[in-house]
Amino acid sequence: MTAEALVDVPQPAGASAPALIRVENLVKHFPAGIGQTVKAVDGVSFDIKPGETLGLVGESGCGKSTLGRLVMQLIPVSSGKVFLDGVELTRLRGEKLRQKRREMQIIFQDPFASLDPRMTVGDIVAEPLVNFRVMRGRKLSQRVQELLRIVGLNPNFNNRYPHEFSGGQRQRIGIARALALNPKLIVCDEAISALDVSIQAQIVNLLEDLQREFKLTYLFIAHDLSVVRHISDRVMVMYLGKIIEIADSVETYSSPKHPYTKALLSAIPIPNPKIQRGRRLVELSGEIPSPISPPSGCRFHTRCPIAHLPTPCADVEPPLEEKRDAHLAACHFSQDV
Amino acid sequence: MATPILQVKDLQTQFTTHDGVVRAVDGVSFDLYPGESLGIVGESGSGKSVTALSLLRLVPNPGRIVGGQVLFRNDDLLQLSDEEMREIRGRDIAMIFQDPQSSLNPVLRTGFQIAEAMLAHQRSTRSQALRRAVELLRRVRIPAAESRAKDYPHQLSGGMRQRAMIAMGLANAPAIVVADEPTTALDVTVQAQILELLADLNHELGAAVVMITHNMGVVAGLCTRVLVMYAGQIVEQGPVEQIFEDPQHPYTWSLLKSIPRVDAVRHERLRSIEGIAPDLLRPPRGCRFHPRCPFRVEKCFSDDPHLIEVKPDQRAACWVTMDRARAEMGADDLLDIRPGSASGVQAGRLVE
Repeated sequence: MTAEALVDVPQPAGASAPALIRVENLVKHFPAGIGQTVKAVDGVSFDIKPGETLGLVGESGCGKSTLGRLVMQLIPVSSGKVFLDGVELTRLRGEKLRQKRREMQIIFQDPFASLDPRMTVGDIVAEPLVNFRVMRGRKLSQRVQELLRIVGLNPNFNNRYPHEFSGGQRQRIGIARALALNPKLIVCDEAISALDVSIQAQIVNLLEDLQREFKLTYLFIAHDLSVVRHISDRVMVMYLGKIIEIADSVETYSSPKHPYTKALLSAIPIPNPKIQRGRRLVELSGEIPSPISPPSGCRFHTRCPIAHLPTPCADVEPPLEEKRDAHLAACHFSQDV
Repeated sequence: MATPILQVKDLQTQFTTHDGVVRAVDGVSFDLYPGESLGIVGESGSGKSVTALSLLRLVPNPGRIVGGQVLFRNDDLLQLSDEEMREIRGRDIAMIFQDPQSSLNPVLRTGFQIAEAMLAHQRSTRSQALRRAVELLRRVRIPAAESRAKDYPHQLSGGMRQRAMIAMGLANAPAIVVADEPTTALDVTVQAQILELLADLNHELGAAVVMITHNMGVVAGLCTRVLVMYAGQIVEQGPVEQIFEDPQHPYTWSLLKSIPRVDAVRHERLRSIEGIAPDLLRPPRGCRFHPRCPFRVEKCFSDDPHLIEVKPDQRAACWVTMDRARAEMGADDLLDIRPGSASGVQAGRLVE
């Protein structure tokens, strides 16, 4: 089956406000040995509205990080399009793409690996400004100090090195660097997953404050559904390279329309013994199949508690369609969830 | 109440580094009762894992247990010879680690490794042990256990490897299972399966479980009692429902409020805790949480609070406690979370 044949996802609803990011039929296949490909992202379409936080969740290997990198054009797409403010990024090359990238920044998971240990904090935060020759000299150092202050760090720390900071502080340095060029979009790729709970809350609050102040748009990628739900306006759930549900974050929890989303939610332990003991786990059989040869039809049918087998679930791929106002799901039997 | 199966008294574990001595576990005492499920929660550096390792005398270099007692069936484990301790490990007290990938031997078949754990402690033939290994794999719900026993660890998924580790832990029907973050490396749906399995085994086999975790949700689902650790010490302990419902230590209270809840009805700003955990090379004087605590009073800067009973069965190490913080400082409506914000006590040097 070619990549194109798998692509039958309709345009997302709610296209009224012009999207900041528009993704159409995005596909990324990685070669994996002779004649095999890992279908990491396999026909994905969605919009991100200006000022919105779109959450992206899924378990390891579902393709969420690859999708984040594709949106940023950090890796080339196999097919499909990505638009930023109506400009097709997937067509841009070289200097034009580089200039457009100023508007998009990424914050990575590991605050230990994503900062150069041999650069001072000041140089790290200044680097994007130097790269794009935005400013220099005194103005540059003033801007760096301002950025450090914005993310809640002591501006006089600019001569220190990353190892002198804690995990949460390093993540603040990464955020200051991301803010340097006044981007429109920030992709947060598991940006708080490595942090302790109390520090996670600090960074989540900081991201929310910055969004309000600088009108930022976030694509917030994480495996922790409770954090994603907290910070996001809408949540998008991925399974084996496909989006299986997109909805308002409150509605995703109160009435999921895909059995995988429901299972995922039921698996998150709630920190309240009275509630947690009374909950029932939607147990999924088996484990996630290989993205090299995903199951036919609905990719979730091998583990789905409500699948109708063999037909239609094992042979017809359910389209991602509107089940209710702006609530999209890809399931033949979403009314039974 | 029943007699405890394990009594930890004033445990002290230190790491000697170039910069000085780190008191990773500093005077920890608790009892473990037969068949119960005890949670030890805390953030990185709180000393929860080092406590677990100390119970089994598995603290890595340069760590050393320098004081206290670990009483198991009237023996102080800290006084046993290495030989005697090896007998206890795996037979009476088993340990399940976070990372099954690195705790299984990659060049030995899974079934053989489980059988090996039995042969180390029991008199049985190799084929009996292998048969029992398959039974154990079945018991931890590994499908096609017979053929999986012949697989090498890399042929199993992360969830299955953790199940195999649990099977190994159960091989000698231990009285105590210590699980150190056993689900942290796993996806949430797999985590839920493993937690269910641990709960079942706790009920069916009657082994006491000590669950080390940073995840309050895991404690809520699995444990009956919980110890909350901060900077090497227990700051609060008690029955799980009570601690979650009515925490009395400001750290426990703040921690519970800083977790986003998947079942929250509306969007509330998370209550974070200002600052970072103290450097254990130079822990703060007085209460170790005072540099971050909104409710601190003068005494907190100088005097070390001890665990005292604050409610039936519930103990907290705090000069103020949340009952007073609520009554006198309006804790429930507090928006400003800066240290000393509720009490107005700003004196002293801050950590950051």
